[in-house]
Amino acid sequence: MTTAIPRQLDPQRVQRALVCMHFDPAFAAAIRGDGRLDLPEPLTAAERDLLRAVDPRALKTDAMRRARAVQALLEEYPVSAALLGMPVVDAFFSSLRFREAVFTRGSMALAFASYLEDHSALVGGVATIEAAAAAVRRAALRPLPAADVADPRAHLQCNPRFAPRIVPGGTLAWYERALIQNGADPLRTLAELRRPWRKRPPRGGQQFLLIEGKVGGSLALGGASEGLVRLLLAASRPRPRAELVVVAHELGAEGDEADELLDELAGEDLLLRVSAPPPAA
Amino acid sequence: MPDFLDRARALPRLGLGISTEYGARRQDGALDPAALRAAHPTYAGFLEVGVELAKGLDDDAQAWAARGWPTTYHFLDVNLDEPEDFDPAWLAGMRATIDVLDPAWLCGDAGLWHFGARDRGQMLLLPPILVREAVAPMAAGIAALREATGREVLPENPPGAAFVGDLHLLEYFAAVAEAADTGLLIDCAHLAIYQRCRGLDPLAAFDALPWERVIELHVAGGSEAEVDGLGWVDDDHGPEVLADTWAITEAAIERAKNLRAVVVECERNPIPAVVPLFAATRERLPADFTAATS
Repeated sequence: MTTAIPRQLDPQRVQRALVCMHFDPAFAAAIRGDGRLDLPEPLTAAERDLLRAVDPRALKTDAMRRARAVQALLEEYPVSAALLGMPVVDAFFSSLRFREAVFTRGSMALAFASYLEDHSALVGGVATIEAAAAAVRRAALRPLPAADVADPRAHLQCNPRFAPRIVPGGTLAWYERALIQNGADPLRTLAELRRPWRKRPPRGGQQFLLIEGKVGGSLALGGASEGLVRLLLAASRPRPRAELVVVAHELGAEGDEADELLDELAGEDLLLRVSAPPPAA
Repeated sequence: MPDFLDRARALPRLGLGISTEYGARRQDGALDPAALRAAHPTYAGFLEVGVELAKGLDDDAQAWAARGWPTTYHFLDVNLDEPEDFDPAWLAGMRATIDVLDPAWLCGDAGLWHFGARDRGQMLLLPPILVREAVAPMAAGIAALREATGREVLPENPPGAAFVGDLHLLEYFAAVAEAADTGLLIDCAHLAIYQRCRGLDPLAAFDALPWERVIELHVAGGSEAEVDGLGWVDDDHGPEVLADTWAITEAAIERAKNLRAVVVECERNPIPAVVPLFAATRERLPADFTAATS
């Protein structure tokens, strides 16, 4: 027989659940009830009792809290939002994806990308583009990883400020037209959207894209060769150079071309020398 | 390291001052800190600069610092009780800003400034969970920030509408101050909000606080509001100060023997609208409570 170790009261866990209550009245009501809670980490009985004591009216004093958060998402996902419709966007704040971001010190915008994956039939490759843009925009704010110059075990990894992506054929042009359709004031357009767009982004075929986040906040978005995109995707985690040479050969490089290609990509900062990950335990 | 009360002797007396944050003056008619200092030098002895590093310092704050006028640094973007928040890039940004402002000390609400990571759309301000278990992490963060910057860090009681936990706010901050061996910033308007929210007298639990650790006070206006029959106070920094806030301010001034600074928070109002507020605050302070001359 095993005995459960009683968990101590964790004020951060209480605080994070309280954040979810501020954003989601239904979750706040669920806290006050006795049912199971859909949370990344369960609350102890004592923690839940603390939260039950909150007057639900006190959670409503900032009437625009959720609207501001929705606006932040619309700024980064204008076309995905038009395809989903506002009620589905708004429902993100009642989803486990949102709560995971709150409980794991995550990014709301990147959690929304995961939420879009749950609705991929509606948003298709458009969500892939906007999620990649959100990711590289944040990567551009952080220092780049780098290995010690003399480290003989250094690996290669795709620069996190670049996102190689494969989307259905024609998605980029469709996306650019959709941005134009959203107009000069996309937030207003989306706020006035009465129902989701009926048109859907392309589904068949493949298009290879490279999205770059630049210091200062701008983005570069364009097509790339299949080989480059697949090679960079293979390098989305740190890998020994020899492994990427094999990948390059599989993608069609011949002889010394693979090594030359890797050197070239490193010279253009598309690939970075990074420390090898610690060996698995 | 000497204990805080010894260290406090080296903290300058800044007198009566004003607050600002990035872009505060974009609002029509909002207070120009330098103009207030020119017209009423004793009301603007120093500038408390609210800093969210992602936004940086605006022209007003930079101009004030460039003239070598006194400042304090009020952080708006760190969850003190989350060690992950002290990442190298953020700390480097804070140190660079300290180099520009040369603040007398750092201060700021000891609450939740952002949920999840420090990211777009994730900024907010919630009070800490008022339980014993929350004291040590908050104290550790204060000590870590003091160590990382070489400046005193004064936690401030945040505003809120939903307070969770069985400790009184002043009991919590007393415990944090002792555990971190630090001073305190008491926001009298925030405290009035808390006492009202809990249905308590404005001076409830006053004796719980080690008032000798209180270095700074905030005074600010607030507006009474209601949602579904629940009365609450919006900490709007307007020109109308609640009677409860004045009662707290007067009692705090009487007890805080090491007081160095009082901020009147009214950054989005025109000067003529807030001069009476500064005068009313000035009247409540000892006559010799002015910026120390060097």
